[in-house]
Amino acid sequence: MTTPLRRRQVLGLGLAGLGTAVVGPLLWDRLQHSAARAQPAGAARLASRGGVADLELVASATPGTLPGGPATLLTYNGRSPGPLLEVNAGDQVRLRLRNDLQEPTNLHFHGLHIPPTGTGDNVFLTVPPGGSTTYAFKLAADHPAGLFYVHPHHHGHSADQVFGGLGGALVVRGDLDRIPEVGAASESVLVLKDFASASGQEAAMGVGRMLGREGPLLTVNGELNPALAIPSGGLLRLRLLNASNARIYRLALEGHRMVLIATDGGAIATPESLEELLLAPGERADVLVQGNQTPGSYRLRNLPYQRSGHMGMGQVADAPQTLATLNYAGSVATLPLPKTLIPVPSQPQPERTRRFSLAHAMGMGMGGMQHGMGGMGSGGMGFVINGQPFDPDRIDTRVSLGSTEDWLIVNDDVMDHPFHLHVNPFQVISRAGRPEAQRRWKDTVLVKAGEEVRIRVTFKDFTGRTVYHCHNLDHEDLGLMGVLQID
Amino acid sequence: MNSTPFRGHARFLGLLLGVGAAAAVVSGGGSLTARASAPALMPVTSYRSASCGCCKGWVQHMRANGFAVRDVVVADVAVIKRRLGVPTRLASCHTAEVAGFALEGHVPAADVKRLLQKRPQVAGLALPGMPLGSPGMESAYGKEAFTVMAFTRTGAISSFSQHAK
Repeated sequence: MTTPLRRRQVLGLGLAGLGTAVVGPLLWDRLQHSAARAQPAGAARLASRGGVADLELVASATPGTLPGGPATLLTYNGRSPGPLLEVNAGDQVRLRLRNDLQEPTNLHFHGLHIPPTGTGDNVFLTVPPGGSTTYAFKLAADHPAGLFYVHPHHHGHSADQVFGGLGGALVVRGDLDRIPEVGAASESVLVLKDFASASGQEAAMGVGRMLGREGPLLTVNGELNPALAIPSGGLLRLRLLNASNARIYRLALEGHRMVLIATDGGAIATPESLEELLLAPGERADVLVQGNQTPGSYRLRNLPYQRSGHMGMGQVADAPQTLATLNYAGSVATLPLPKTLIPVPSQPQPERTRRFSLAHAMGMGMGGMQHGMGGMGSGGMGFVINGQPFDPDRIDTRVSLGSTEDWLIVNDDVMDHPFHLHVNPFQVISRAGRPEAQRRWKDTVLVKAGEEVRIRVTFKDFTGRTVYHCHNLDHEDLGLMGVLQID
Repeated sequence: MNSTPFRGHARFLGLLLGVGAAAAVVSGGGSLTARASAPALMPVTSYRSASCGCCKGWVQHMRANGFAVRDVVVADVAVIKRRLGVPTRLASCHTAEVAGFALEGHVPAADVKRLLQKRPQVAGLALPGMPLGSPGMESAYGKEAFTVMAFTRTGAISSFSQHAK
């Protein structure tokens, strides 16, 4: 299942005592038997029945082991990632969150088109330590099928909690799954998440909160280098979720192309064959892999990527890292790729264009900080949108229900920022002045250092207060977030 | 913020004398006489990208600590980093030169002074990334512990000073 020796070469941080894979469900199962100290890990998958999803997640700090020593991991139901949640378009969802952490938390239903208020995707809710709350909402019958993401979103705690292990995949079944070629593929949901080492040395090497913390332990569904299986002639649908705090994955599968069929918000119109796939935190992608190569083992790899332009800042690895291994097993009659998927209509012409400049800057009180008089509020260094750090009590952007707008996201910074909008999906119109070839549904878009990306969004169905922010969650906690009011 | 204690404190003070006098000139404006009698400021050339929001803070920190900093905006900082032999894994935003040494990132002035006093066989000092609480990165969001690294022309890296939260 794992190849610790290979990992040891990759880690290169002098970690001792690498054992078996230790973070994922397998670990928790093993802990039950060996240590009997962790609470029993819950089911690996929670699904709706008869149109109703009745779900419970318990957030807690759970003792576990990482290469290098014991560690406390943050888990849902004793698991990191949390259980796979599986619902259908049209379902009534009731999700009870119990907070057994020592700090406040909450949930964000990343990518779902549901109300931002009340018991919906309300990130202004606080679930205090020892408390619980029930999120309840109905998914529209025509809600796009896709891979979505449930994770904590309590401002000031988001990064710590996600980096510590909280988060999980939410699959909505629907239109895309009914396309015969897609339905015939076998399916693997891959939650990509890096963990700090037990020593935490990497922070001392510069990958701290300002860059956004990355860890050297690259896990897939909580495991180091898990095995994936494909029969000769078969189709494997890899459903990829970047659930990392700050790491941007540059994915490539040895010997195989990856055929993109869905982005964040669901199906694309026409499959696109890719050599590589760039996946920023919060982004998802569905790709089909054809078992059309010589039977053997092929590595799913994370290639080096520079997320501070070419300054090199924050780049720890300069060699590919193995995330998982695809093994051929058996054979089936050759399954065809789909020719077309689901049309993605263009949105109406925008009524206005807004500009959002993302940067890190000395905020108010810079002089005060330097002369020892500061330290209050958001003074000093942090991240800003149009010059202002996040303030939950200020409305930054007010839009009308039913309107369409272009947002020009301008990265005036020296590092990449994945920009995420809650509740309403958008389409990318252009990047760095170049029009996008295809319209696709997105809710998170990577805006590289120095780059401008134009997105188009129609504010549909739901009024209320919500947010947009950088999905490098350390950046979000350090101020890179704004409040959107839909009236 | 605790830097590694200096050994040979008296010698260090000797070096600081000039710097301290120079700082007085900078902060107080000084008379022509005072200016003439003060030792020359230790010159530093700092290279940064126009879009970086924190490099200027470090320049101010160095000036406040008695260095004469030439603040140069360049299109491509990576070229400078390569010229000065800064290992990629130690990269930060800005890069500077002082007395033949490279300075990468938000290295505290006290560490630079110790470098100039001891003159170890290194190519320079680096504070990789942009740790919160380091000079020019002061923030109400908190502080991070950090380690200033020394590096050689051949890419050998060692710890130069540790700074607690």
